[in-house]
Amino acid sequence: MAVTVLLFAGLDASAQRIKLNINYGVGIPASANFKDYVSNTSFRGWNANLLYDVNDQLAVGLGIGSQSFYQRYPRAVYKTVEGSDISAEMTNTVTAMPIMVQGQFNLLPEATVQPYVGLGVGGNLILYNQYLGEFGDSRSKFGFAARPEAGVYIPVGRYKESSIVIGGAYNYLPFKEDNLKNLNNIGIHAGFKFPLR
Amino acid sequence: MLTLALVGCSKDPLRDMTEEESRIYITNRDSSADFHTFKTFSISDSVSVISNNQLEGRESTPLDQLYVNAIKKQMTDRGYTLVARDAKPDLGINVSRLYNTSTGVISYPDYWGGYYDYYDPYYWGYPGYGYNFPGSYGVYQITEGALSVDILDIKDANESKTINGLWNGLIRGSGVFISSAAASNVKALFDQSSYISAN
Repeated sequence: MAVTVLLFAGLDASAQRIKLNINYGVGIPASANFKDYVSNTSFRGWNANLLYDVNDQLAVGLGIGSQSFYQRYPRAVYKTVEGSDISAEMTNTVTAMPIMVQGQFNLLPEATVQPYVGLGVGGNLILYNQYLGEFGDSRSKFGFAARPEAGVYIPVGRYKESSIVIGGAYNYLPFKEDNLKNLNNIGIHAGFKFPLR
Repeated sequence: MLTLALVGCSKDPLRDMTEEESRIYITNRDSSADFHTFKTFSISDSVSVISNNQLEGRESTPLDQLYVNAIKKQMTDRGYTLVARDAKPDLGINVSRLYNTSTGVISYPDYWGGYYDYYDPYYWGYPGYGYNFPGSYGVYQITEGALSVDILDIKDANESKTINGLWNGLIRGSGVFISSAAASNVKALFDQSSYISAN
């Protein structure tokens, strides 16, 4: 009986050390070239990570996400080559989908509001489109991604196993294709983290 | 499924796009041409109909007349004088309706997938039954229409033994062949071509 209890306690504790964090995300274009393409803040984003608590401060795992940027410009005349002009409403879209290895470090694991810092490194799938009127040109490319972040956990619930998460990050997304260079953006996220059982 | 989840938040650029917003106006000019040296023009009242790069014939529908009249107005507003074709005009203008049809193949089972959009078979009086769609393919066609205006150098044709194209205007998108849009479409072409002026 005692061994069974200990084994069960061990399994239960292991499961609680794996936590899923799902956040709603906002993205703000940061690099100059990106802002020339799309300057509007994106309110269409989310990110999630599955982290294993190595100890009460350090957690490592995998993270994914998506942030979609969109901007439509009023009708204007664009010169293409000498003697050729196009009048159109231009629409630019960029969707960044990072997939990365992540780590987070809880600075004050016993506090009511627990600040944390983190870093993610991996790849980034970019889908980008430019439409002139209803005529679009869609392209995709895979590149590097890095994401330093900081925020707070606010433990909630009876056993304080789950947390509200609020934070910010700098998404470093080097990119070079056509006239689009670097998709660096500032991310703000808020969500919930809970143990998997 | 993962890809769908990842891109699910993106905004569709074509959604909520009006016909006017969908349209693009493309102009190409011979950069060496000086439009101030031309004073008269002629334009046919009938329009060429070109389908998949083949000339189908010439027509003069009410819509065609609206486009022709709009071009006449733009040219006369810019100082050119309309003359008959046999009066040796400096410029000749052709108007064409272009149609391009593209064909695709769709697999019906792939398209419909599960029948979650359909009523449960109980609705039809057959509880417990399932739906079945034969493994068939369908062919679809999409036809895009565009309107093209060409300004030709008639004045110098005899000397060069060639009728040179000086300018082309192309209108593409939704609502090109709507009567109410004819005048504004032509105006848009000429608005971005301020070099077309007899003065």
